[in-house]
Amino acid sequence: MELMGKERDRLAQRSVRFVGLAGAVIALLCMLLGGGVEPSSWVATGPGWLLLALALTAIERSGSVAWPIVGLLGGTAVLVALLIVEPLPLGEGVAVGVAALAGGAMPAFALVLAAGAGRAVVLGLATVSSVVLVELLTGGATLLTPYSVAVGLGWLMFAILGYWLRVSLLRITGRIESIGRAYRAERQASEREAQRRQNARLLHDTVLASLTLLAHSGHGVNADAMRSQAGDDARLLRQLKTSSVPDSAVTILNAAEPVDETPLGHTLESVKQRFGRMGLQVNWHGSARLLLPAEVLDAFLRAISECLENVRRHAGVPEAHVTISDDEHVVRAMIMDQGVGFDQALVDEGRLGLKESVVARLQEVGGSSRLFSAPGSGTTVVLEVPKS
Amino acid sequence: MSLGIDETTLTGIGGRTGVGRRRVRTRSTIAARRVHSAGVGSASPIVLAAILCGVQVFFGVAVLVANWSAHPLPLLAAAAWAVLLFAEATLAVIVSYNGERLPTGLFVFFLTALGVAVLLDLVSIWSVEDIGGYASASIGAGFALLLTIAQRRRREIVIAIAVLGVALLAAILLTTPLTAATLPSQLIALCLACLPAAIGLYVVGGFRAIVQRALDRVLVQSTIAGPRLAFGMLASEELARLDAAAEELLESVADGRRPLPLDAASASRAATIATELRLHLLDGRKQSWLYHAVSESEVLGPTVRLSDPHTLAGLLDQHQRDGLLTAVWLLSSELQRSGISISLGPVRPQPPGAPQDRRKLVPIVIEVEGSSRGGVDPATWDELSKVGTFHDSVKQQVLRVEIECWVADPAEA
Repeated sequence: MELMGKERDRLAQRSVRFVGLAGAVIALLCMLLGGGVEPSSWVATGPGWLLLALALTAIERSGSVAWPIVGLLGGTAVLVALLIVEPLPLGEGVAVGVAALAGGAMPAFALVLAAGAGRAVVLGLATVSSVVLVELLTGGATLLTPYSVAVGLGWLMFAILGYWLRVSLLRITGRIESIGRAYRAERQASEREAQRRQNARLLHDTVLASLTLLAHSGHGVNADAMRSQAGDDARLLRQLKTSSVPDSAVTILNAAEPVDETPLGHTLESVKQRFGRMGLQVNWHGSARLLLPAEVLDAFLRAISECLENVRRHAGVPEAHVTISDDEHVVRAMIMDQGVGFDQALVDEGRLGLKESVVARLQEVGGSSRLFSAPGSGTTVVLEVPKS
Repeated sequence: MSLGIDETTLTGIGGRTGVGRRRVRTRSTIAARRVHSAGVGSASPIVLAAILCGVQVFFGVAVLVANWSAHPLPLLAAAAWAVLLFAEATLAVIVSYNGERLPTGLFVFFLTALGVAVLLDLVSIWSVEDIGGYASASIGAGFALLLTIAQRRRREIVIAIAVLGVALLAAILLTTPLTAATLPSQLIALCLACLPAAIGLYVVGGFRAIVQRALDRVLVQSTIAGPRLAFGMLASEELARLDAAAEELLESVADGRRPLPLDAASASRAATIATELRLHLLDGRKQSWLYHAVSESEVLGPTVRLSDPHTLAGLLDQHQRDGLLTAVWLLSSELQRSGISISLGPVRPQPPGAPQDRRKLVPIVIEVEGSSRGGVDPATWDELSKVGTFHDSVKQQVLRVEIECWVADPAEA
């Protein structure tokens, strides 16, 4: 937030230049147009004007208190020179110009002086001296001419503006910081949500499969089966939306009773139904409770699903068994079929449809897969993932 | 860039049911916060304006009273002040009870009242042939515009100032003989009527810009606490949106609202959603915090080009990230119109004989066009030294900073 303070100071400095130069130009114009200034006055006030112009130009790039002091000394020098050279009280035109200088151009510096005790002293001194000088320049018989009052009020207004610039930004800083905290929380939540949705790969796999079928208008698929699958997928998506399971929490699954009310239970049931519709009966066995982080669980179930797809395509039997068990360290799934089997020596594992990405993902979460098969005696795949 | 892909594919299904609109809403929530931020900055200007107006009213009325006997129609001038004060009081009360908002109807009423006050004031002094010397409520009307600066658009205020200035100028030209004696006070009167609101616009405009940038900065700053790679603020909303679109489609198939086989439009919608969903599920969609910081920021976005093909920015620790981001921020705010390019990597191998301390060297190069070393905020160098040791050079108006940034080796982490 110190950056903000810096930008505020720069804004104040820019404003001093804008207001101060405008005031100085107006003051000069008034004195020129109003006539009545002795030529010798221009010589006497010249250095003061130059100092003022220099300070007003330089202040944009520098926050040093030296520039306001130089500028104010310059302005004061102009007033003092007029006091010495001009016949008093000043004529109306010149008096107006003096008021513009002392009540417009010089108070512009108040924008950077309403801060801290040291600067406030400079501010106070400058205010008093310019009011007194203008009073001496314009005052006749009466005390307090409109000019000197206007000059005092000019100083007052710019001091208020400078103070406001300083204080209100401090006040806002607090609010912006709390908005910043809200941003951080929102970003974290958004990140978790994206991760959770992306982790739900098994779900997205089945959704993508359905969408792909629908992209071909659903031709070649039994309409009832298609509708029922679409209904399942829509329900899963709805559950993903409302699920309060955060990514780091542990998902509990009782494999013996797959259809419980967790999204995961539905996912398992949905896997079963999907294969059922495609002609493969999947039987779940085992009563182990799966206590796995969501990410591991997803990789695990995806691998199981991929193995079942393999059985459906190659085994030539209408039934597969999935047994889930666990021990202290790992959760294990055994996918068995009594199908045709194959000679492991002859078939490259890579061709088995156990997609590399799935194996890789399983390995990514610290899991492993093993495959046992022989011609005529079915196939067994063992998948293991660590519990923690 | 991946962001480009989904921008184009998204237009494929925008315009039909909710899909396209949802995205707009995503943007607009950020926009809403930014608009709300304008409220953050405008809370107190009206109090300030009221104080400044009060000071001016005090002076204006005092001068009128002092000149009462010399004034041709003092009662009319007093009536002008009465109208002005009534308008100011009404505005101040309603605005402060209305959550700092100034509805257009009230604004128009206020301007009309100001117009009436100016008219009464000018009519009352028409005969004296010295508008500048006698104008009082007319100048008060110029100060009164201060009350509306924080609540209304800049353009509206500028027009109001211009109308007031032209009215005064016309009155001066029509009635006042311009001589050396009268000219200065005419000039001052014009400036006193028009300059306060102009200065107010200048200051409040700058103030708003600061608040806006500070908000942009806290938004960007929130990226540095992120993991090495992240999806970014918009990704989860987009994924949720796609899931919702898929859900809607599948549901309508399930309950028969869309009969099978699907018509061509629905089929192509299914294909589009599937394609986008696949794109969104790819791991490669994750980007480094620096990418998100640059793409989400309104300050950095237009000026900074980031080249980080191996997302090495993610390896920087929080202290380094903070330094890099702040330095780039300072550079871009200092030199708003020039381009800044940041490139990271490739990772350099450990020099032979270097201690094997499990760290890697990521070279970072920042190039700033149209800049010299002197034009850079000195704080930038402090921030850069948080990132690593650096050296800078200027060649053909391009400032080039090379940083040697040591990071923990991700393979060892």
